[in-house]
Amino acid sequence: MPVVDVDPDALRGLTGHTDKTDEEFKEDLFGLGLEFEGETDDGELQFEFAPDRLDRLSVEGVARSLRYHYGDDRGVYVPEVNDAEWTIEVAESVPDERPYVTGAVVRGVDLDEAALESLIQLQEKLHATMGRGRAKGAIGIHDLAMVKGAPLREGAERSITYRGIEPDGETFVPLDSNDELTPAEVLEEHDTGRTYADLVSEYDRYPAIYDELGLFSFPPVINGKRTEVDTDSRELLVELTGTDQWTIDKMCTIVCYALSARGATIEEVEVAYADGATHPAEYGPELVRPNLEIDEKSVSHDRIETLLGVDFEPEDVVDCFERSGLDATYSLDESVTYEVEVPPYRVDVLHPLDLVDDVGRAHGFDELEPRYPDVGTVGGRHERTRLEDAVRTSLVGLGFEDLLNFHMTSGVENYDRMRIEPGTDVVGGGEPVEITEPYSEEYTQLRTWALPSLLLLLEGNTHNAYPQDVAEIGFVAERDETENTNVGESRHVAGAVARRDASYEAAKGRLQAVCDDFGATLETPRTDHPTFIDGRTASVVVDGEPVGVIGEVHPEVLVDHDLEVPVAAFEFDLGALR
Amino acid sequence: MRLPERQLAVLEAASATDERTTDEIAVETGLKPETVTGAAFDLRDEGLLAVTETTTEVAELTDEGSDYVADGLPETRLYRAAVDAGAADEAVAMGEVIGRADLAGPEVDIALANFPRKGFGTIDSGELTVDPNADPDADPEAAALETLADGGSVDDGSVLDRLASRGLVDLAERTTRAVRLTDAGVDALMEGVEAAETVGQVTPDLLASGEWEDVEFAEYNVEADAPAVEGGRKHVLRRTADRVKDVLVGMGFQEMEGPHADSDFWINDCLFMPQDHPARTHWDRFALDVDPMEEIPETLIDRVETAHRDGWGEDGDGYHSPWSEDFAREVALRGHTTSLSMRYLSGYAGAELEPPQRYFSVEKVYRNDTLDPTHLLEFFQIEGWVMAEDLSVRDLMGTFEEFYRQFGITDIRFKPHYNPYTEPSFELFGDHPETGEEIEIGNSGIFREEVTGPLGVDCDVMAWGLALERLAMLTTGAEDIRDLHGTLADIDFLRNAEVSY
Repeated sequence: MPVVDVDPDALRGLTGHTDKTDEEFKEDLFGLGLEFEGETDDGELQFEFAPDRLDRLSVEGVARSLRYHYGDDRGVYVPEVNDAEWTIEVAESVPDERPYVTGAVVRGVDLDEAALESLIQLQEKLHATMGRGRAKGAIGIHDLAMVKGAPLREGAERSITYRGIEPDGETFVPLDSNDELTPAEVLEEHDTGRTYADLVSEYDRYPAIYDELGLFSFPPVINGKRTEVDTDSRELLVELTGTDQWTIDKMCTIVCYALSARGATIEEVEVAYADGATHPAEYGPELVRPNLEIDEKSVSHDRIETLLGVDFEPEDVVDCFERSGLDATYSLDESVTYEVEVPPYRVDVLHPLDLVDDVGRAHGFDELEPRYPDVGTVGGRHERTRLEDAVRTSLVGLGFEDLLNFHMTSGVENYDRMRIEPGTDVVGGGEPVEITEPYSEEYTQLRTWALPSLLLLLEGNTHNAYPQDVAEIGFVAERDETENTNVGESRHVAGAVARRDASYEAAKGRLQAVCDDFGATLETPRTDHPTFIDGRTASVVVDGEPVGVIGEVHPEVLVDHDLEVPVAAFEFDLGALR
Repeated sequence: MRLPERQLAVLEAASATDERTTDEIAVETGLKPETVTGAAFDLRDEGLLAVTETTTEVAELTDEGSDYVADGLPETRLYRAAVDAGAADEAVAMGEVIGRADLAGPEVDIALANFPRKGFGTIDSGELTVDPNADPDADPEAAALETLADGGSVDDGSVLDRLASRGLVDLAERTTRAVRLTDAGVDALMEGVEAAETVGQVTPDLLASGEWEDVEFAEYNVEADAPAVEGGRKHVLRRTADRVKDVLVGMGFQEMEGPHADSDFWINDCLFMPQDHPARTHWDRFALDVDPMEEIPETLIDRVETAHRDGWGEDGDGYHSPWSEDFAREVALRGHTTSLSMRYLSGYAGAELEPPQRYFSVEKVYRNDTLDPTHLLEFFQIEGWVMAEDLSVRDLMGTFEEFYRQFGITDIRFKPHYNPYTEPSFELFGDHPETGEEIEIGNSGIFREEVTGPLGVDCDVMAWGLALERLAMLTTGAEDIRDLHGTLADIDFLRNAEVSY
């Protein structure tokens, strides 16, 4: 879950509630779903929240939510925007993998250290969330005074260009460096470059942003040093590139709202596509950004009432909308429907239902009285788990300790230590379902049988008293192309008798008792299985079907599991007792 | 008169004129002392014997005391070493004497403290002088230790107290019992007492022959511990699961069943989880190296893709995330059992469902989490949902209050939350029934229309999930989940975990 660092002094300033204590803020923010997590080294408060309201990733966004919460603000707010002076030209050479760009110009900026830090934090948090680690969207913020744009096109005064270049096609001095490097060199030699190298290293051409003086930004990896922002910067150029236009536009909007809250003025930029350049399908060949358009959705009064289980007056609903930073109008027809305006920084409103949630939060979910739904249904257990339970009861009655083992295991445990091999026609010898890119050598596949788990447990309990009679009814799986999932899943019944006098007879007596419980006919014709001692191994045949194996476990298996007592065991398919 | 054999033996060994201790009688009769004592009390209750009890203080050597009997008391060893070193004539450096006496560790302090106390000499400025007139051989403490070691008794209470305070003897109280025949006992013996036959065990013969009517059954020490019996028992987590299932069936829920290995379509896409959601990266899921799932209803795939790309309903927006059918068909271990809910709600698991319905499962899910005392790679998820017309948040709250009340968790709090698949969503918090601390006990919400719509459900569905292990840790007090679940489990822990019901 995202975490936002909040400077409480900045919060007091931005909300205008200069008398609020840190504790009061913590309480108020908890009500908004931001949970206090702790303090940073320099005394900022950290809050964790669910990843829906990403507009709250900065102290400015948190302050805005609080002002609505306190009733200081109501309804939709959209900052004033001045007309464009700058153009972002999109060249044909832009890499196909990262075709989209957006941006804004911000003027009248006055950033102290704290505000600058907050801006950088917002940028990083947006990268981590919406930007999917900069892959989907990356933000570059530049000191506009250091950008030199000549008019490249009639109608635009100044411009920069988004293009694709050869990995070694140009040099620039990246941030945190003094060396002239090519983009390819940045990926190899620069710390930040190495961190993000995977995002672009497969590209034929690298993304690059140029002004009249040359390359000044290498998105999504690093900006050039020339345009670095500091507390003296008064005018900013914000550019974003990515794989999805909507995502970078929303990230841009959230950054613009944050800077606007600090008193800056937002100015549009035009995005113009050269012939052959990719422009986003949902828009024409020319964009004006940032996109601060208000979205509209309609939701019926009836839906709000049924979903929250509360009767409302329409004015109350409108009040809730306005306190949530939304605007709503309605007509008093037979059925009331609200036309709701949603401000552009909201990235979580995908459906009218999301507006009902806002009404619920504004009204206060705490206010709702729980009620047990007046709906009659008949309950019952699934046949499979009932059978499992009945067999478990039989085994426990015979003195077996019921076990619960992991379904994931390794080939070593499942086959090697049991002296069997995958793809052989013995119980447990099925082809393994393996985990792609396993994280641990201990868990690389699903178990094909349960007996290895029982032996592992016995191995871990040699310090405890004997007898140890253990059993498990559990999930096993093997490759099976006849299944839709390509995985054959079943439940096996496995039991092991570990004690000084454990013998084939001891195991068979218990197996016979289980079969008798279920009216099943048991036969045990002799068979071979590498896990068991030759001549003391039988196939478990239930009602004429071979369904498992029983025998005395081979000394090599016992010794390998550090066992100093004999073990007799059986394993068969649960379905045989159906 | 007939008496059990051992009572008769005690009665015959007792005297009308002299008191005899039970120990003496035990030696004479060959019975165990406790048997004699038991029989004596039985005879007293019959009025045949008088029993008198005397309590005496007995002293027993401790291990340290025994060591000193063998080696000599540290102060005595110090004295002798000092004499050898010539300290009777002039002061000798203490270190030299200690070395010569072969004292080590705490013995040094013991020797130095007791040496002057017993008048063996003086210690001054690190030098030691002995009193040539002292006589360690006459030391009453050493003598008392010797006596006790030889099995004798020491009467000097002050010496014993001193030895006890030095930790060389343990003082304990011992009760001796002595018996004497009463007049009635004498009369009984005069009239003749016969031994009743005692038997150890009820046997088939005894019962069949009717002999049981004439025998006495040998008495047992019924307070003694019996040899341990290990019965089998159901796994503690299974029992918790059973309890959950009982409660849910009682509330009208039907149990679901379905595959552990499933396509991402059923696990995530149906749930309106965007394909680039962090939980769907390979870091969080266990992908399996099998071929993709071929059979998924085409119309369902189309509708789910539409929901992801364009949203659902007139005013719906999609996710602005990539969506690929190939990814949807990949097979992985389910990260939640909501995949079962999707299969049932769509009608794919069986019949098309008409509202109202309630369904649940308590089944295993797989997540690539860090293994620690509260997290496993595999755990059980309790999953439940209610499908009905016009369900409200209040119905959701009422249902969960009822469910958790069954486990002693009352006063649950609903904290508004965000899930990609439910809106509104709530995290559920309650108070730990033992510690009272606030804990998260579940996640819940009403399925979004982007979830229910593509599945063909046109009423409301509310759902919730909870890790069974969390509930089990609450109800069993287990602190490390690895004690319970998996091959690292301790069989003793499983055998001794308190039964919950």
